Amino acid sequence: MYPEAFSYHAPSTVEEALALLERHGDDAKLLAGGHSLLPAMKLRLSGPTHIIDMKHLRGSLDYIRDEGDDVAIGALTTHRSLERSELLRGKLPVLAETAGCIGDMQVRNLGTLGGSVAHADPAGDLPAAVLALDAVLVAQGSGGTRTIAAGEFFHGFFETALEAGEILIELRIPTLAAGSGSSYQKFFHPASGYAVCGAAAVITPDASGNVASCRVALTGVSEGAYRATAVEEALVGKPFSEELAAAAAEHAADGIEPLEDYFADATYRGHLAKTFVKRALLTAWERSG
Amino acid sequence: MKVEGSHTIPAPRERVWELLNDPDVLARCTPGVSKMEAEREGFYRATLQLSIGPVKGRFEGHMEVTDSREPEAMTLTIEGSGAPGGVRAVGHITLEQEGEQTVVSYHGQPQISGRLAAVGARLLSGVAKKLAGQFFNRLSEES
Amino acid sequence: MAKYVGARQKRVEDPRLITGNARYLEDVQLPGMLHAAVLRSPYAHARIDSIDTSAASRLPGVVAVFTGQDFADLNPLPCAWQAGGVTNNANTPRVLEIDKVTHTGMGIAVVVAEDRYAAEDALAHIEVAYSVLPTVVDAKKATEAGAPQLHENAPDNICMTWECGDQDGTDRALGASDVVIREHLTNQRLIPTAMEPRGAIGSYDPGTEEYTVWMTSQAPHVMRLLMTAFVMGIPETKMRCLSPQVGGAFGSKIFLYPEYPMVAVLAQKLGRPVKWTESRQENYIATTHGRDHQTDFEVGALRDGTITALKVTTYANLGGTLSTIAPGIPTSLYGSMLSGTYKIPHLHCQVYGVYTNTAMVDAYRGAGRPEATFVIERAVDLVARELNLDPAEVRRKNFIQPEDFPYEPASNLLNGLAYDSGEYEKALERALEQVGYREFRQEQQEARQQGRYLGIGLSSYVEICGVAPSKWVGLPGEGWGAGLWESANVRVHLTGKTVVTTGSQSHGQGLETTMAQVVADELGIPIEDIEVKHSDTMSTPFGYGTYGSRSAAVGTIALYNSVQRIKEKARKLGAHMLEASEEDVVYQDGNVFVKGSPEQAKTIQEIAGAAAVAYDLPAGMEPFLDDTAYYDPPNCTYPFGTHICIVEVDTDTGRVEIKRYLSVDDCGPVINPLIADGQVQGGITQGIAQALYEFAAYDDSGQLLTASMMDYAIPKAEHLPHFENSHTVTPSPVNPMGIKGIGEAGTIASAPAVVNAVVDALSPFGIRDINMPLTPQAVWRAIQEAGR
Repeated sequence: MYPEAFSYHAPSTVEEALALLERHGDDAKLLAGGHSLLPAMKLRLSGPTHIIDMKHLRGSLDYIRDEGDDVAIGALTTHRSLERSELLRGKLPVLAETAGCIGDMQVRNLGTLGGSVAHADPAGDLPAAVLALDAVLVAQGSGGTRTIAAGEFFHGFFETALEAGEILIELRIPTLAAGSGSSYQKFFHPASGYAVCGAAAVITPDASGNVASCRVALTGVSEGAYRATAVEEALVGKPFSEELAAAAAEHAADGIEPLEDYFADATYRGHLAKTFVKRALLTAWERSG
Repeated sequence: MKVEGSHTIPAPRERVWELLNDPDVLARCTPGVSKMEAEREGFYRATLQLSIGPVKGRFEGHMEVTDSREPEAMTLTIEGSGAPGGVRAVGHITLEQEGEQTVVSYHGQPQISGRLAAVGARLLSGVAKKLAGQFFNRLSEES
Repeated sequence: MAKYVGARQKRVEDPRLITGNARYLEDVQLPGMLHAAVLRSPYAHARIDSIDTSAASRLPGVVAVFTGQDFADLNPLPCAWQAGGVTNNANTPRVLEIDKVTHTGMGIAVVVAEDRYAAEDALAHIEVAYSVLPTVVDAKKATEAGAPQLHENAPDNICMTWECGDQDGTDRALGASDVVIREHLTNQRLIPTAMEPRGAIGSYDPGTEEYTVWMTSQAPHVMRLLMTAFVMGIPETKMRCLSPQVGGAFGSKIFLYPEYPMVAVLAQKLGRPVKWTESRQENYIATTHGRDHQTDFEVGALRDGTITALKVTTYANLGGTLSTIAPGIPTSLYGSMLSGTYKIPHLHCQVYGVYTNTAMVDAYRGAGRPEATFVIERAVDLVARELNLDPAEVRRKNFIQPEDFPYEPASNLLNGLAYDSGEYEKALERALEQVGYREFRQEQQEARQQGRYLGIGLSSYVEICGVAPSKWVGLPGEGWGAGLWESANVRVHLTGKTVVTTGSQSHGQGLETTMAQVVADELGIPIEDIEVKHSDTMSTPFGYGTYGSRSAAVGTIALYNSVQRIKEKARKLGAHMLEASEEDVVYQDGNVFVKGSPEQAKTIQEIAGAAAVAYDLPAGMEPFLDDTAYYDPPNCTYPFGTHICIVEVDTDTGRVEIKRYLSVDDCGPVINPLIADGQVQGGITQGIAQALYEFAAYDDSGQLLTASMMDYAIPKAEHLPHFENSHTVTPSPVNPMGIKGIGEAGTIASAPAVVNAVVDALSPFGIRDINMPLTPQAVWRAIQEAGR
């Protein structure tokens, strides 16, 4: 529980943080909420020699704004803010619901959307919601800002499209089509609280009760969060029913190799993926209309 | 913990064999290597800086090639340790020619010790897969 | 007139605990104190070829680095309970290992530095050359030909073999039974997980040549004895041991660990106090584990449900070396209780204690009795299932009846002792009624038709606690190398304020409250005027400490006896002060008066004052109201009860939800129902944890995979039901208060109640057993496999 020694920096602006990142490169880590980084450091799994604390940036990067077609969320917005936001509960309820499933209240008070998404823990909850909501991620580097579509952001095992020297500063999430329903269903690991399997579904009915569109994303099952496109294809254009949802959910693990660990082997995890996708679809549909 | 997989390298078998036995190539392909020196034929000392997710640290150790059956198979024994823990692995590698390409298959049961084993159990197979993936991608580029 | 005993008295310990004013080991700061960090073996089986500490010693802040060679003049730690002939096969840890390690986490070297960070940094600079050896982690496999041998003196890795009961009679009875059911049960390895990890601080006074050692220990007097006499070879009077506030233990803090003599010797070598505390990882990897039995049993029965015989074979994993009382747990505290609450005419139990490359295994809440109860309660349910009988009915049919007490289990299982008292059927009926058993069976049927799987599980237990008569533990085949009596000193000071010092140790039991309750009632003084002190060898009489649910049935009886003698002396002095004859005078509610004239009483405060100034004492009476009692119980005590668990199994995921959990426990008269409830609920939680959540898992190379709470699933409040707890009261004839223990009963009863419930829920699938822990994956797999 005693980390290695490190130099501590607390820049006041994003530009200062970027400069520090560039100077120290691989020796540095950004500190947002700290509840993934600090345990790793205390366990000496991780020994960065420079910590760049983003706490002074919270003033400028902690916000949830209604921008009409999008909701813009600053990267340093805490999970607790997401969970309690009236705006999100109204417009993007699955994001609030997912954030509310993370850790416990102490963790949610400190953990941030940007930190969690950039860390891309294969068992983290938010990547599933970010994918299912088709978010656009905004990164800032020394050369300026750029946007990355959610579908191109998660590259696998703790890996994202962020380059070394880039900081995630904002997520922009398009508001849902009218009548959409959404849900995040999670199998909580009894020890860690991480997602053994987490399924986020957004489903939009058309006037005749068919599935006009849907997006389904999973976390906890594979090396990174992913869109279950085979599930989506099995649903679109068809009249929704429990049988259809169950049949579509059978494709939940198509194309991926489920992770194996002590708590859940690949077979069981693959099965959980199907079970939780089905539950997410049913709940999302129930909430739609 | 079992690590196994296979990668297709766009080069004939003899060429892939040559690359796998060249310490400079190995140094370039192994992710995070900052130093690799052949102490004697088939025995290399290396320092590796690992940074995957929450695991970030320096590992020192060695890699030894044995049971060489050119150009079809070899056994690679890896031993390394650092602050996050230790690794001892024996990997069996086979090379199969498929047209103009080579399918390199590997399997092994690494034994992890220290903190990585104690608190990082769920990370191990992901780290192993990722390292193997990075290695073979770079090997493909070299070929 | 009992005013305090039986009342839900709030604990005097709680205000300081809740306001952060309790002083734990970590809070102890001494001038000049140094900090130690231990380098621990990352390998489960290895020879230590060389250690180079030179680089580490040169780091800034490092004062010294030591290895096993520096402690070579100390003896290895003792194993104090050598059941079944362990004498020749005992292998115990050293303060630091010199030649070899047999499990991960064994200490190789220690760095002492000005602060803990410097010490931890230095660990990485110690260079150790190991020759790694092959490992074996499964106890049964360790005894098979070709298994790696851990210790030269233990062929086939067998530490000891032990048996109880009558093998021939049992075999014959099995042969003559209508049915014989065979099953294999695993009682998986658990990690005690006290909230506070272990630690110790050593300090040495060169002037008096005396050591002071603070430690997180359940038994400071025993630690002092073992450290001085057995490890360091110095007089026991040259050491003071004390436990500050101890944050939970569950047995893991009973034992002598290498770090305790280590800090004492380091303090003497370096001339400054030395503190060591463990991280949670160290606690998980190198502090003792519990359970880890593999058991095969055969239970015989007649068609009508009468159980005829039980034969048990258990491989008990003891770990890579022996902890202080390890061999006693799967023997005297296990085999002897396999009869449970039933009149089983023939029993036999064979135990193999085995070394493997895993952490030491020793007592963990229940210590042998949860393992025994799990076997018999699962066996009874399997009998019921086989014969298509109601499990409640099979229990009723076989119960020991109230008129059978004192009851000696058949085949001399208890080696001369007998169960003291019991009304097993009464507790069962009470529980069945409270849960609404008949209604539940109806509800279960209806739920099945809707595709919902509810189940109900019973566990009727009896356990052996209030350990133990010294003569019994010293018997051949028992082999506990010390007594198990307890002590108390009571002093009533001049103004009537009373101080109790006890040889027991309180690490969550609330002894400062419960003991005060007893004194307050007996002496008739306000409870605020009583202080209970414990855990310091300098100021308390020698006692064997707190474990085995003994601080009520043994520790508090020592206190009770002491208080009776104080009362009697006060009565006599009061008579003298009243100028009355002793026969005419009574002691009642803190007053001494001539029978019939209570308005002319002398109060205990006045009498205490008179005793202290001693102006006018009766001839032959010594001044002061002070008495020390040593109480050696004539028998253990045997609390009992029935627990019932109702579960629902989600067959899609395998998750088990506990819908209800109710317990009816009988520990005789309850001193403090608030505390007793807490004990029972905490105990039940740990049994539920074993049934559904926890498992200390090793890989084949001896690495502990569940070495943090990220993987080792301690249940949280959200995993637990609202507990329904009640009591029946059947006093024990063993002691004058009729009390039995209650600290471990919850854990002893609960795991089989939960497992029986899940198996009951899944009986439509034809499932008859699932190994603990019944994780979602395990349950789901069992359902899939049953479907084939």
